[in-house]
Amino acid sequence: GLILLFYLVFYGFLAALFTFTMWVMLQTLSSDIPKYRDRISSPGLMISPKPDTALEFYFNKSDAQSYAEYVSTLRKFLESYDDSKQSENINCTPGRIFDQNDVAVKKACRFNLSELGQCSGKEDKTFGYSKGAPCVLVKMNRIIGLKPEGEPHIQCTSKEEGMVEINYFPSGGFIDLMYFPYYGKTLHAHYLQPLVAVQLAINSNSTKEEIAIECKILGSPNLKNEDDRDKFLGRIAFKVQMTE
Amino acid sequence: IQDDHKLSTSELEEKYGTSTNKGLSSARAAEILARDGPNSLTPPKATPEIVKFLKQLVGGFSILLWIGAVFSWISFGIQLAQGAESAFDNLYLGVVLALVVILTGIFAYYQEAKSTNIMASFSKMIPQQALVIRDAEKKEVPADQLVVGDIVEIKGGDRIPADIRLIFTQGCKVDNSSLTGESEPQPRSCDFTHENPLETRNIAFYSTTCVEGTATGIVINTGDRTIIGRIASLASGVGNEKTPIAIEIEHFVYLVAGVAISVGVIFFIISISMRYKILDSIIFLIGIIVANVPEGLLATVTVSLSLTAKRMAKKNCLVKNLEAVETLGSTSIICSDKTGTLTQNRMTVAHLWFDNQIYSADTSEDQTTQPFDQSSPSWTALSKIVTLCNRAEFRPGQENLPIMKRVVVGDASETALLKFAEVILGDVMSIRARNKKVAEIPFNSTNKFQLSIHETDDPNDKRFLLVMKGAPERILERCSTIMINGKEEPLDSEKAEAFQTAYMELGGMGERVLGFCHLYLPENEFPDTYSFDTDSMNFPTSNLCFVGLLSMIDPPRSTVPDAVSKCRSAGIKVIMVTGDHPITAKAIAKSVGIISATSETVEDIAKRLNIPVEQVNRREATAAVVNGMELKDMSLQQLDEILCDHSEIVFARTSPQQKLIIVEGCQRQGAVVAVTGDGVNDSPALKKADIGIAMGIAGSDAAKNAADMVLLDDNFASIVTGVEEGRLIFDNLKKTIAYTLTKNIAELCPFLIYIIASIPMPIGTITILFIDLGTDIIPSVALAYEKAESDIMNRRPRNKRKDRLVNEQLAVYSYLQIGIMQSVGAFVTYFTLYAEQGFLPSTLLGVRVDWENNAINDFEDSYGQQWTKYQRTYLQWTGYTAFFVSITIQQVADLIIRKTRRNSIFQQGLFRNKVIWVGIFSQIGIALILTYGLGHVTALNFTPLRFQYWFVAVPFAILIWVYDEVRKLLIRRYPGSWWDKNMYY
Repeated sequence: GLILLFYLVFYGFLAALFTFTMWVMLQTLSSDIPKYRDRISSPGLMISPKPDTALEFYFNKSDAQSYAEYVSTLRKFLESYDDSKQSENINCTPGRIFDQNDVAVKKACRFNLSELGQCSGKEDKTFGYSKGAPCVLVKMNRIIGLKPEGEPHIQCTSKEEGMVEINYFPSGGFIDLMYFPYYGKTLHAHYLQPLVAVQLAINSNSTKEEIAIECKILGSPNLKNEDDRDKFLGRIAFKVQMTE
Repeated sequence: IQDDHKLSTSELEEKYGTSTNKGLSSARAAEILARDGPNSLTPPKATPEIVKFLKQLVGGFSILLWIGAVFSWISFGIQLAQGAESAFDNLYLGVVLALVVILTGIFAYYQEAKSTNIMASFSKMIPQQALVIRDAEKKEVPADQLVVGDIVEIKGGDRIPADIRLIFTQGCKVDNSSLTGESEPQPRSCDFTHENPLETRNIAFYSTTCVEGTATGIVINTGDRTIIGRIASLASGVGNEKTPIAIEIEHFVYLVAGVAISVGVIFFIISISMRYKILDSIIFLIGIIVANVPEGLLATVTVSLSLTAKRMAKKNCLVKNLEAVETLGSTSIICSDKTGTLTQNRMTVAHLWFDNQIYSADTSEDQTTQPFDQSSPSWTALSKIVTLCNRAEFRPGQENLPIMKRVVVGDASETALLKFAEVILGDVMSIRARNKKVAEIPFNSTNKFQLSIHETDDPNDKRFLLVMKGAPERILERCSTIMINGKEEPLDSEKAEAFQTAYMELGGMGERVLGFCHLYLPENEFPDTYSFDTDSMNFPTSNLCFVGLLSMIDPPRSTVPDAVSKCRSAGIKVIMVTGDHPITAKAIAKSVGIISATSETVEDIAKRLNIPVEQVNRREATAAVVNGMELKDMSLQQLDEILCDHSEIVFARTSPQQKLIIVEGCQRQGAVVAVTGDGVNDSPALKKADIGIAMGIAGSDAAKNAADMVLLDDNFASIVTGVEEGRLIFDNLKKTIAYTLTKNIAELCPFLIYIIASIPMPIGTITILFIDLGTDIIPSVALAYEKAESDIMNRRPRNKRKDRLVNEQLAVYSYLQIGIMQSVGAFVTYFTLYAEQGFLPSTLLGVRVDWENNAINDFEDSYGQQWTKYQRTYLQWTGYTAFFVSITIQQVADLIIRKTRRNSIFQQGLFRNKVIWVGIFSQIGIALILTYGLGHVTALNFTPLRFQYWFVAVPFAILIWVYDEVRKLLIRRYPGSWWDKNMYY
């Protein structure tokens, strides 16, 4: 009996102590910005849609069912970019870092879906999948305070030449500097990260073949894209295989 | 048993196909050698080295680790087949686990081998030569080439090379002490004197020594067929008991393994029911096992034991079996030999009686003068007799040695007298030279006296001096006068009475008494040309003048009484087991305190109350002197009663075989028994004992082989220092284990919380190994250097059944209190690190599946930032490092609190044990090297850590220290309370 009571008190005390220490620790943190960002000094690249199986796209261009999931994922992803949702966003000056350090309420820059051209899903509801030219959105991971230098742009290459023709939206795959820096979830609630759509017009000869694509961020000296261990730092590799 | 001792010489010649004059032919000898094998004892079957090594590989926790390794490889195989990227992690983990087992195995094997090697050096002997007649020629052959039927010649000083039936002897005496325990040299002759071959005089036994005289005999047994060989094989038949510490460690291993397996299985089931994949569950299981098993602990225990063994070796206790170090500490009964162990093993003059008065002589080991009153002229006369009537001589070339250390040629009594005279008078040899000996009758058993006639050193005194010594009553018979204060007075009945009283008193002290008398031969009857004839005895041997008595004893070593009283206060019963006479045994027992001054035996009480022995209440007598003859007729129950009823026991006139019975009797009482012994015949008892202690100087090889420990100086007092060390190491091992077990909880909790709360893994399996086998090793060894908290020699020996090395309190306190506190401290660091990097605790819960998903490279943190898989993994490693550092910091506190179990650290002294600080610095140093030096080696999963995270756990470390001080304070304040019972380990 006594022993149970002892442990009850003992663990109660420890639990209280733990809670208290955690509370003190959390008090020292800002809710806007993490204390350290050194573990993510350079952003990773990611694509949407993201197939379940290790970044490999398999679909039949004549079978809507086979790419339905990709399409719905894209649609869902782009919902937040809908004009109706961007009413509070402002038009920023392209090509310039949009510094709002002194402003209490951080504004988000508008990202026009039309910039994604054929991949915006407005003209082609299937994002090119039915035409054998599937769209893949490439995005750069959000990192608070990151200010890319130079003219960052996405460039994708296929290992196998002549199998695929790659088009970028916005053209040249440029990521505009006005979307940077990011001020974090709480301060920058409406922030939309800039997207680059990559349309892969697959050569009709190359159907049924697995095409390996690698996209990299280029043109910016402070965005790494060749880390030995991190295969997603400033780059991403995926495979596409289309049948008819 | 053969009957060779009954056969006549010619029958023997026929039986063995030999001839007493010519011996065997070389060809025949070679034939027999080929048939019987060499004349040497087969060494006890040694376990093959490879088996010893393999045993190390499967003992203790190794099995658990092997299971872990096999599981790792299995999951590696499965993952490889599935093409998972992280498959190789499991391969490496398996390899690391296997390496851990193999390396600790090699280490333990090496430690074991090192202590065995010390012993091996003992058994090396100079090859012995034997003088044998073969082909009618005397030849020297190596003793191991002897065969049955060989005729060998032996002279004083030789070791008997085989069992020999004597066919010719001249004044031959053998020292059978290694065989029978009798310390007196035994005469040998060609006569068949006893039915029992062991008792008959015409057989000399292998490995005994010929003390004096010469002999020739026929070899009748060689090698293992000799009596000694048979006893040696008997000893190897006596099973070796498991040492108490081995039992304790086994108990501890079962306990920890039990916890590891049950926690492992419980969480395996939990993870399966939480719908984790089987493969993941297996990986968790490996982690739990690795976290639970203190990989470095058994090696640490070995090191601690061998450190103590080293320390004991410096104090003259050489430990053969490492575990015996602790056995000595738990000893509750010591059965000690008398001769050589309790005593100095040399006769020394203890008392003198002249002028109607008893004088005591100094019997210490390093006497240089004798303090008794030497002014009386009677002493001058007595000293002259002592000097002259003595055949013993110093070996030449020892002038620079202390007298007591010089080697003497002569028997024990004469040696004692020679040294006694040398100490008082100086240069006995020149005194003898000045008093030239003209005639001599050596001592023999019929006369019981020794006589010599000398010229005097006084040039004006032309008389001859006849001096005589011998059995006091025989000497007195021959005297008509007695010297009192230098004057000859008639020996009337009153003076004879005084003599009797003195004689009885000295004899009652267990001393060997000699009488001395002299006579100046009248010059007119014996002119200086007189030719003395010892055969016709043409000189007077009666009406002599009695001068005095000298009594001798093998005196106790001066350190022994103190050691015995230490044993007594340490709750250890000291039992003397000797082949000596009960009176001598009792006298020595009294003088060293084995029988205390106030206690009485049954016989003493009977004498005091003047009633028959049978009427005495046996329970009133605390002491008992048991004769070997009585012991022979006792039932086991009676022996048990004696061992139970009396606290002070002396067994006298015991045969070596009875020693085994006594040891077994003590063990039936549940005692841990230490036995000392030196003879071959002691080896069964030495083996049977929980710890057999052989004498390094006097001990035979067989005894040393059977023993667990060798006393280099043959001194009983060394055993007591050994006991102290043994007790200390037991206490310190407790501390080491408590220290080591604590952090296992801090290593285990991460896994449990990882499984239940699905947070990112807080600590890696490899990291755990770096704690167990890296930072923690030196500190846990350092605890072996901790000084005792209180006088450990003032408490009773531990109860084998109750006082466990790892008791419930120790496990509970380490696991459920300090261990949990450490876990809390480490988790605070963990959560702080993640929170400061962007993952608040609330975000971390339940993220495991996505966190570990290789395909998710935009994992969002609490602030909206997105992380690639590698960035997360790197953060996870930083988490490992932080967790590791926190455990290390808190282990420093754990180390400090483990210095004592009851006393405050400040009572013990924070800086007294310097090695602890070496431990602390090594711990932090290794952690620094791992974190900052090897932080870039990916496979090790360490990352350079922000310096402030080293301090997050510091408040918890301080809390641990304060909490433990409070615990100890309450234990000291309220002994016997609920707190004391539950919190003292």
